[in-house]
Amino acid sequence: MKIIEERCIGCGNCVIICPVQAIELVDNKAVIDKDICVECSVCYRNANCPTNAIKPSRLKWPRVVRNPFSDVISIHKLTGIPGRGTEEMKTNDITNRFKDGEIGFSIEIGRPGVGTFLKNVNYFTEQLTPLGVEYEEKSPVTALLKEDKLEIKEEIEDERVLSAIIEFKVPIEKVKQVLKIIKSVEVKIDTVYTVGVISKFKGGNEIPIKNVLKSEGFELRANAKINIGLGRKLIEDT
Amino acid sequence: MTHSLHRLGQKDDLKNDYVILAMLAANFNDKAPNARKKMVKIGEIMKNNNPVNIMTEKAWRISSVISATFDNKMDVKNVLKELKEADLGISIVVEGLINEIKDLANELELNLDSVHLSLGNFGKKELLAPENILEITSMCGHHCISPQSVQYYIELIQKEKISLEKAAEKLAKPCVCGIFNTKRAIEILKQLI
Repeated sequence: MKIIEERCIGCGNCVIICPVQAIELVDNKAVIDKDICVECSVCYRNANCPTNAIKPSRLKWPRVVRNPFSDVISIHKLTGIPGRGTEEMKTNDITNRFKDGEIGFSIEIGRPGVGTFLKNVNYFTEQLTPLGVEYEEKSPVTALLKEDKLEIKEEIEDERVLSAIIEFKVPIEKVKQVLKIIKSVEVKIDTVYTVGVISKFKGGNEIPIKNVLKSEGFELRANAKINIGLGRKLIEDT
Repeated sequence: MTHSLHRLGQKDDLKNDYVILAMLAANFNDKAPNARKKMVKIGEIMKNNNPVNIMTEKAWRISSVISATFDNKMDVKNVLKELKEADLGISIVVEGLINEIKDLANELELNLDSVHLSLGNFGKKELLAPENILEITSMCGHHCISPQSVQYYIELIQKEKISLEKAAEKLAKPCVCGIFNTKRAIEILKQLI
């Protein structure tokens, strides 16, 4: 994103609306800190700039990678859907991506609202990959890992994004090891991350992973996302 | 994405906060005849049951996802009942209090498929905005709402330059998914001014 200096009247609308505090007023002109800006386009779409001084930049590699991890409208080529993640459990009643006995994880680095350099992915992958986790193939983060899946590709590691989601699944027997890794990163990383855990329901709408999480000292939030099982593989023409 | 997961708030506040999302499954039903028509039907069902926020009708016609926000369990129940009866075959996800959704599932005889649980926030939490500000900003799953904009509107409300309702509407604007609960935002703003 860029500000056309001669048009800027210093109203500050863009400063208020920027989700990562990348814009400030200097001598009554808005200035974007290019290192902090994650190319989310929130200022462009929502600041109501009275002089149309905010313009999208033509992004080149590797900076262009910031946009799909930050701009809600941007559709990633791999996933085909808007946003930073995949369909994960949202269509599981159709895809059966997560089966009985399998547990999914979504580790969203930079969320909520702080942002992250892509290299922070490495703190997790360098431990998760040797454990043999199955990364979600369609996840944008998976696509940007090196071939050995231990680290993110070097040319993009210093790119800053609003958030990056590591999506993977493991057999239920490996959950405790994954939870240890999640805890271990807390003291190393320079940003925040949220953790989501995906499980199939068992008979009677029970959540089989609940007790394992509690026994490992993780506090479950009272709210969650639930796929209510109305999906089908084919939709007949009616 | 993880979308509506990780909405912050106390259990009592979250009783008034539900997100319903419909999603086409790529390579399974997204190219099926009538898929788009059925998505529009879902949008209509959501719209007819008092959502406090909903994705634009233009988006129903192009997006693989439709989402809407509700402020009470009864409206959610009515949406789910109508969706079950319509039998459209498109995946539906509800975000809200787990026990409340399970109760609805029992009443409507739904076989729940899967759950995405939140374990919360980790890492350098000192970088986070204050908890009560996060309760507002975390209602946009893509975190497009800045903490300083919440502070900005609090000041405008205190100076009586904007109403609570208008402030909540303005705060919701960057959230294109329609999952920002404007009614809940008003209640949180009341506590903050």
